[in-house]
Amino acid sequence: MNDRTLDRPWMLIAEREITTKLRDKTFIGSTLVMLVVVLAAVIVPALLSGNSEPDKIAVTSDAGAAVVAQADAAAGGSGYEAVRVADRAEAEKRLETDAAAALVPAADGYVLIGKEKVDSGVESGLRAAVAAVGMEQNAAKVGLTPEQLRAGTQVTQELLEPGSLPAGVSDFVNLGMALVFYMTALGFGMMIAQSVVQEKESRVVEILAASVPIRSLLWGKVIGNATLALGQILVIAIGSVIGLTVTDQLDILSVIGPVVGWFVVFFILGFVALAGLWAVAGSLATRQEDLGSTTLPGQMILMIPFFFSVFAGSTAKTVASFVPIASSMSMPGRMLTEDVPLWQPLAAIAILIATTVLIIRLGARLYERTLLQTGRRLGYREAMALEAR
Amino acid sequence: MLRVAGLTRRFGEQLALDDVTFDVVPGRMTGFVGANGAGKTTTMRIILGVLAASSGEVFWQDKPLTQAVRQDFGYMPEERGLYPKMKIRDQLIFFGRLHGLAAGAAAERVDKLIGRLGLAERATDVLENLSLGNQQRVQIAAALVHQPIALVLDEPFSGLDPLAVDAMVDLLREEVTPEVPVLFSSHQLDLVERLCDDLVVLSRGKVVAAGPVSELAASQTPTYRLVVDGDAGWLRDLPGLRVRDVAGGTALFDVEDDAVAQQILQQAIGRGPVLEFGPERVALSDVFREATR
Repeated sequence: MNDRTLDRPWMLIAEREITTKLRDKTFIGSTLVMLVVVLAAVIVPALLSGNSEPDKIAVTSDAGAAVVAQADAAAGGSGYEAVRVADRAEAEKRLETDAAAALVPAADGYVLIGKEKVDSGVESGLRAAVAAVGMEQNAAKVGLTPEQLRAGTQVTQELLEPGSLPAGVSDFVNLGMALVFYMTALGFGMMIAQSVVQEKESRVVEILAASVPIRSLLWGKVIGNATLALGQILVIAIGSVIGLTVTDQLDILSVIGPVVGWFVVFFILGFVALAGLWAVAGSLATRQEDLGSTTLPGQMILMIPFFFSVFAGSTAKTVASFVPIASSMSMPGRMLTEDVPLWQPLAAIAILIATTVLIIRLGARLYERTLLQTGRRLGYREAMALEAR
Repeated sequence: MLRVAGLTRRFGEQLALDDVTFDVVPGRMTGFVGANGAGKTTTMRIILGVLAASSGEVFWQDKPLTQAVRQDFGYMPEERGLYPKMKIRDQLIFFGRLHGLAAGAAAERVDKLIGRLGLAERATDVLENLSLGNQQRVQIAAALVHQPIALVLDEPFSGLDPLAVDAMVDLLREEVTPEVPVLFSSHQLDLVERLCDDLVVLSRGKVVAAGPVSELAASQTPTYRLVVDGDAGWLRDLPGLRVRDVAGGTALFDVEDDAVAQQILQQAIGRGPVLEFGPERVALSDVFREATR
């Protein structure tokens, strides 16, 4: 009977933590809701903007059809489609059904007819095409080829400091990365705190403490929930990759791809550092209702850097990307949108590791001392002053 | 054998345990009694490593108790509690594994135990849907699931009706093999008297009496009971005895030796009819009161 030992009790604790959550309908439900929201965010804009059907333009002549063909070529080949009709009256009728506009010859060029209005994109596309076709014809009359006509009119763009993403997009991606960390760390942090206080509330903690070292309990909870958090992010990431593939937007991945590894490293370290704190928040409480006040420091530690990293200027953001926890929210985003030298993320990781070790040590100490105090809610200062068990 | 040696524990200024020493012998049930706040739960928590001792040590088979050995102990804390929203079979398997059983062995053992407790049909119910009595059974099962090498039960019978107490006692008798030392605390002295072989009495953090129940009872000065037809007040004037109580013809008194008792009986017969005479059986509650006085 005596030869049994449990080598890694934290694994068993982590396993229980994970299987309990995976059977929890609320957890599965909220993950599904998040998946649907992310999929919608990826797919819906693509469906709205990337309407792949070409606009139908009613034309009454070959010349008109040639103009639409020119506009279509200028727009990349899927912009406009000419619909041949007999006359202006029939063209106007087509506007009632499927045509976006009608292009009919006039005294000096063309008239563009719309029903209530003509889409400005359609208008400028056709205007440019009419001008190009017309000028080529005029040039031919005086003996110039289209190439001669366009000689010396090309403009190309060069950027001295090219960002890898357009400004609007980079803000969005920065916010997105900070938000993913913020939401996940807060959501799973609260789950850790709740799981700890549930064990205190149901008094099962005394049996646990009598069976395995208290530190194993702490590590089991932290590792179990970190695994769940990463798993949830993975599910959502796979969901959005599928969404991007379906809507033909995979080129975004080649931009985000290189920082995914960094994001995971910053995520795990930042998450584990905070997890220690969340577990303490749970062990200070004696009932679920106490969590509101005991988790306040954890919420602040997340919320302040989040708003800072989202709304601060670029210098402040650079500073924030070295501050522990804040770095988890801002460094991956910075690396995506700016040209960050390699030493910077490495230094930020070193600082984060040092902080994580410190917080986990302090957290484990507080956790050990407060876990079995089931009498009343304790404050952080009070907990620091407690003697060892 | 489980030995508690010189345990002392302070909570701030307060001395909760003061040099507590006793043995829990295998195959014998040791009852652990004492008033509220005497230090029973503190002692048990220290044995289980949930609390640290300020000084003193716990020994198992004459070696200091280690975490590895302690993992094979069974413990039922005074504050009951398991996972309320976990299915009882899953829950018991978890506790079995927590004590070092392999998953398969734990499942096999749990199925057997659940069957014996008459809970086989409720195996997939979550704990909080069970009646309190059944929850208590699951709780004792959680302490027994890994076939512990020693059992520490803090107030195992509190809140149980007499039938449930009998059922639990039967279960303990079946499950606990002769080499397992059992320590249990209780307020119910009649139960302790019925079940225990040995007794440890704790008062204000100190052991005031310890040993086999029979010896502890025998060491008391014998008390006699006399009932006469008439008034027994004359007993008060006699030498060599201490009168505990006289009410009409009924008297309770302690004597220094049995010879004095016989002299008193003869006197009583001389004075009139004697309805009853004999030594009073010493109740454990008297031992307890005497020891903690």
